[in-house]
Amino acid sequence: MLRLIQNELMKIFKRPGTYVMIGLLVVMVSVIGGFIKYQEAGGTVPDNSDWKKGLQMENASLNKQIEELKGQVSEEQINYFKQEIAVNEYRIEHDLSPNGDYSIWEFVTDALPIIDFAGMFTIIIAAGIVASEFNWGTIKLLLIRPITRGKILVAKYLSVLLFALAVLGICFGYSSVLGFALFGGPETATPYLNYHEGTVTEQSMFVHLLISYGLNSISMFMLATMAFMISAVFRSSSLAIGISLFLMFTGSQLTSLVAMKYDWAKYILFANTNLNQYFEGYPLVEGMTLPFSVIMLVIYFVLFQLLAHIVFKKRDVAA
Amino acid sequence: MMEKIIEIQEVTKRIKGKTIIDGISFDVYKGEVFGFLGPNGAGKTTTIRMIVGLMGISEGDIKIAGSSIKTDFEKAVRHIGAIVENPEMYKFLSGYDNLLHFARMSKGITKEKIDEVVELVGLTSRIKDKVKTYSLGMRQRLGLAQCLLHDPDVLILDEPTNGLDPAGIREIRDHIRMLARERNMAVIVSSHLLSEMEMMCDRIGIIQQGKLIDVQLVNDFVNGEEIIFEFEVDASEKAKAVIQEALPQLQVQQSEVGILVSAVKEEVPLIVKHLVKEDILLYGIQEKHKTLEDRFLEVTNSKEGVAHA
Repeated sequence: MLRLIQNELMKIFKRPGTYVMIGLLVVMVSVIGGFIKYQEAGGTVPDNSDWKKGLQMENASLNKQIEELKGQVSEEQINYFKQEIAVNEYRIEHDLSPNGDYSIWEFVTDALPIIDFAGMFTIIIAAGIVASEFNWGTIKLLLIRPITRGKILVAKYLSVLLFALAVLGICFGYSSVLGFALFGGPETATPYLNYHEGTVTEQSMFVHLLISYGLNSISMFMLATMAFMISAVFRSSSLAIGISLFLMFTGSQLTSLVAMKYDWAKYILFANTNLNQYFEGYPLVEGMTLPFSVIMLVIYFVLFQLLAHIVFKKRDVAA
Repeated sequence: MMEKIIEIQEVTKRIKGKTIIDGISFDVYKGEVFGFLGPNGAGKTTTIRMIVGLMGISEGDIKIAGSSIKTDFEKAVRHIGAIVENPEMYKFLSGYDNLLHFARMSKGITKEKIDEVVELVGLTSRIKDKVKTYSLGMRQRLGLAQCLLHDPDVLILDEPTNGLDPAGIREIRDHIRMLARERNMAVIVSSHLLSEMEMMCDRIGIIQQGKLIDVQLVNDFVNGEEIIFEFEVDASEKAKAVIQEALPQLQVQQSEVGILVSAVKEEVPLIVKHLVKEDILLYGIQEKHKTLEDRFLEVTNSKEGVAHA
């Protein structure tokens, strides 16, 4: 199996296109960095002295909103307000200003949307990894080896995951390095404040960012799996890229639209890919919970894999 | 006694209710070159795809060295090296990387083995170049190298000389004969080019409309027992009449330059004597080989006639 993955990675990394993708990611992070650096130089340092007062005012208005909206909006939304209040109170109590200097971690957070582009490139790779073999005609030579089709498909999928990890690693690593170079390290180690079931805890910024990366990658992971499935089932990389990218850019909006009217929206894949909604926000549809979303994701994953395997194994290769 | 390496047992292939291959059975032995002959669309490539497991088998079974390709794929396909239609390789990789890629998919292929195979097909000087810079002949040779990596017992080549120039064709043919003879491989070659098959194969199976209509040794197939002699004469009509009268057991036909008589060698002097006696001018006698093409058309036509009747 290792040697099969080695083969797949060789086929990915011996193509110039792959390096163009990685180069684009690096350029984009650099541009974000340059832009923020430029803005920072022109702007003023935020006023730090009165932050406690500001937070108290914010809490007061949040409390008022809770009073007003009670019964009108969902439980989850109310909880979200309560969470904000709790975090603000924690800050006041422990003397942790929200207006710290802009440093490496803030930059990495601001550069998080780069994950979408990493996801896009992963989708392109996933969409091509099976379909290209058919286009090139090499599938015939690939499938007459003493290795079952199932194993070949698994090796290909694992290679996509490795590629995804590699581009995410590059994004995280490069934005950290660039952030440190442009903005320097934080003067004091400002922790991230995590709210869980009514209590606020401190969390190291690094760990928090790793978790953010992980959570933000879930939709990319699911879409890549879907692209892989379409690639194996329809043998068309353009179809796989087209559908997956279209859903990547419109999926969550379409789902929110549906969610406004219908409850079954919670069964749609994109209602569940953003697990961040349970940690920093409120769920799309009332009554959705973290375990529910995880189960839905697992179901979709198994479905995609089953489809890919069944069709790929039964296919008569007549290209 | 030669050893069976491939057994094709009552194989049928149906696609969407249409029968593409209809109950084909034959065996291939070690050390022989088996030619698979038929017009385009007769089912040659489909049969080959079923042997290597690229296509499913609707009915029947195919066994390679005793293992079924249906139920024991990994074990069965291990004995096969194949090129199915064109040898499409990864164009963006070098020839060497292509071989490395396929070598990793079989067990126990060393770097030395790769080098040895490259040497055998004569690609040593260009093996580090990208495949997209190769000529068709070089790609064909790389394809051959790819199937020889794991020392297979069976070599399957679908239209191996397609698109090659005469030198390339000859090269491939020599390779095939050498592999069958020296390494005791069974080679299955498919083609619609008869002259080529005649030079390469020991046995030939003819397939038409999904049915295997004949399997014969090439020599028997081409010649049969009788030989045809062409007598070049000045008056072919008269000559025909003379022979028909004098030797009524022989078959006589008029040709462009004289007459064609199918006879055994001993009868030739007799024919000459009759012709000379009747004052027919005899310019020459030639032994006419029936070509594979004649025989092929003969066989396919007659069998088709039977099938339609």
